[in-house]
Amino acid sequence: MNIFQASNCPAWKFLNDFCVIVLGYFLKKKNLLPYLEFLQEENGLQAIVPVVNSNGATCFEELSKENSENLFLDSKAFFSAKKFFLPNREREFLFEKKAASFEIHETIKHRHKVLFGLRSCDLHALNALDKVFLDFYGYDSLYRNKRNTVLTIGLECLKPEKNCFCESFGTSKPDFFDLFFWEKKDGFFVEIGSPEWEKLYCKKFFEKTRENRNSQKENCSLKLETKNIAELLEKNFENPVWEKESEKCLSCSSCTQICPTCYCFAIEDFFIPGTEDSERYREWDSCQLQQFTRINAGIFRQSRKSRLRQFVMHKLSFFRQQHNVHLCVGCGRCIDACPAKISLVEIASQIQKNPIGAD
Amino acid sequence: MKKNIGKTRIGFFSLSCCEGCELAVLELNRDFVNALGFVEILESRILREKNPEQELGIAFVEGSIVGKDDLEKIQKIRQRSKFLVAMGACATIAGIPGIRNSLPEKTKSALPLHAVKKPLAAVHRLSDFVKVDFELQGCAINEKEFLKILVQLHHGFFPRLEEVPVCKECKEKENPCLLLKGIACLGPVTYAGCDALCPGVKAQCIGCRGFTKDANFASLKSMFKEFGLKGNEIKNLFTYFNNNPFEKGGF
Ligand code: SF4
Ligand code: SF4
Ligand code: SF4
Ligand code: SF4
Ligand code: SF4
Repeated sequence: MNIFQASNCPAWKFLNDFCVIVLGYFLKKKNLLPYLEFLQEENGLQAIVPVVNSNGATCFEELSKENSENLFLDSKAFFSAKKFFLPNREREFLFEKKAASFEIHETIKHRHKVLFGLRSCDLHALNALDKVFLDFYGYDSLYRNKRNTVLTIGLECLKPEKNCFCESFGTSKPDFFDLFFWEKKDGFFVEIGSPEWEKLYCKKFFEKTRENRNSQKENCSLKLETKNIAELLEKNFENPVWEKESEKCLSCSSCTQICPTCYCFAIEDFFIPGTEDSERYREWDSCQLQQFTRINAGIFRQSRKSRLRQFVMHKLSFFRQQHNVHLCVGCGRCIDACPAKISLVEIASQIQKNPIGAD
Repeated sequence: MKKNIGKTRIGFFSLSCCEGCELAVLELNRDFVNALGFVEILESRILREKNPEQELGIAFVEGSIVGKDDLEKIQKIRQRSKFLVAMGACATIAGIPGIRNSLPEKTKSALPLHAVKKPLAAVHRLSDFVKVDFELQGCAINEKEFLKILVQLHHGFFPRLEEVPVCKECKEKENPCLLLKGIACLGPVTYAGCDALCPGVKAQCIGCRGFTKDANFASLKSMFKEFGLKGNEIKNLFTYFNNNPFEKGGF
């Protein structure tokens, strides 16, 4: 059984949701780094951890001697861990020209990874990506190969940041993990979330405990009323708010690049110099850019308004109608990253206050 | 599988510029030597002693049009080339030579233009006078982009060049955003393709790859004003490289 199926298993879910005292272990804070190094050295996993990178931004990187002093555990990382499942640029395959046909070569080789420090919203974001790349249209082999070789360790948020609004979506409660670390005094309570967790077990550092998960998390100050939001937005396709907000928008695409659930990509083929063989690449794309909707006849989402609207509508309306969850997990990264201070929460609340077509 | 189509005949030309883009091509090193397997360099001031004027598959032209002789030169090159590729900021957005266009009238008239034969009233990019098929942006160009154009055209395919803003690559590189720190950056209105070189070393983007068609100048300018930049400071930033008389970001 693989990891994402395990966390979706009904019996498992039932146990998880209704047992207040959860079986788990205790890990001392001072043993965190040695534990991660243990996973890397003894269990042969590639440990991916949140760090402050050489430019001063917080993001996920492979744990190394150089960055182990820069672990970033205070709050969620500015850049999400999406790139480990959907790299910003990735070779799909090579096609070799034969006399009368093409031969396709895929090279798929991934080291088994453990992703440490995913927040509750990040775990839910991964679930949303799974819906797109594993469940809905059949599966995407590039994504599945990476997904199946990743184990996840979540980390509790004690203090939400100013743009966090995960509670509005119920994504503040962790789900879909192999282990989850709950913040305790001097350590973590380690909750077990899937049968795969044994690969992350460490006799040396995991201690028996009487602790349980008992969250100490503060509430988010930012809130969005999500009841009926999908339907409301759809009725407000022509609300003047879109035009007004889009006047500020730079169409820089930072919001979609940084969003842990945005999954759109473009495909391009390249000749290999001096041969007739080519390689096919996929690369992040964004609905905020005009090229996104370019077809032979032109660009059909030409206006800034229509592009900004697509972002918010896909997050809060369209995806919900297809997959029954929102494509937004309330992490607030798009709000953090927007230089024009555009916020989907603000847009949605303005529409809630002044809807069109209300009798 | 090896390919048996003939070699693509190319030439390099310089108008008014520093010839740095042609040097950037040489930075391809091994890839450049490999490319000689499928291209033939017929003309280049740097690479060849004799430069016979022949029909060309692709003409790569760097430099701005500053005087009448530049203009005559580019028109002749256009006539004998199947594809014309403008190479570098001088050729695509008037760039550094174009700073003349953005100077106050008084300074402009005091410029020592005697080295230029019959100077034009303004400095121009190539596409103001001749049909340009592709533009390689940047000061200097990105040599990988050059190789991409060369290989795709050699195989008879139109290359797709970046039409997204620098911010896209800047996010991919996981740089902290300068605009969020109140530092004026032209990334949102500038074509990507440089891998966000400047923000990657904590320097603002000064627009050397030209303004995107989709640029929202009004919003960016009002943001810069909020940062406390004065009118002439904003103008200087916008016209650091973008000096073509028809596209200066509204200045
Ligand atoms: S980050 Fe802000 S300015 Fe940039 S495209 Fe998104 S909404 Fe527009
Ligand atoms: S839309 Fe914004 S808040 Fe929602 S998941 Fe994406 S980045 Fe987070
Ligand atoms: S918001 Fe835009 S970029 Fe993100 S998934 Fe939806 S369409 Fe794609
Ligand atoms: S630093 Fe400049 S280029 Fe990078 S995201 Fe910010 S505005 Fe865009
Ligand atoms: S960041 Fe801007 S100024 Fe710097 S190389 Fe790129 S386009 Fe040019």
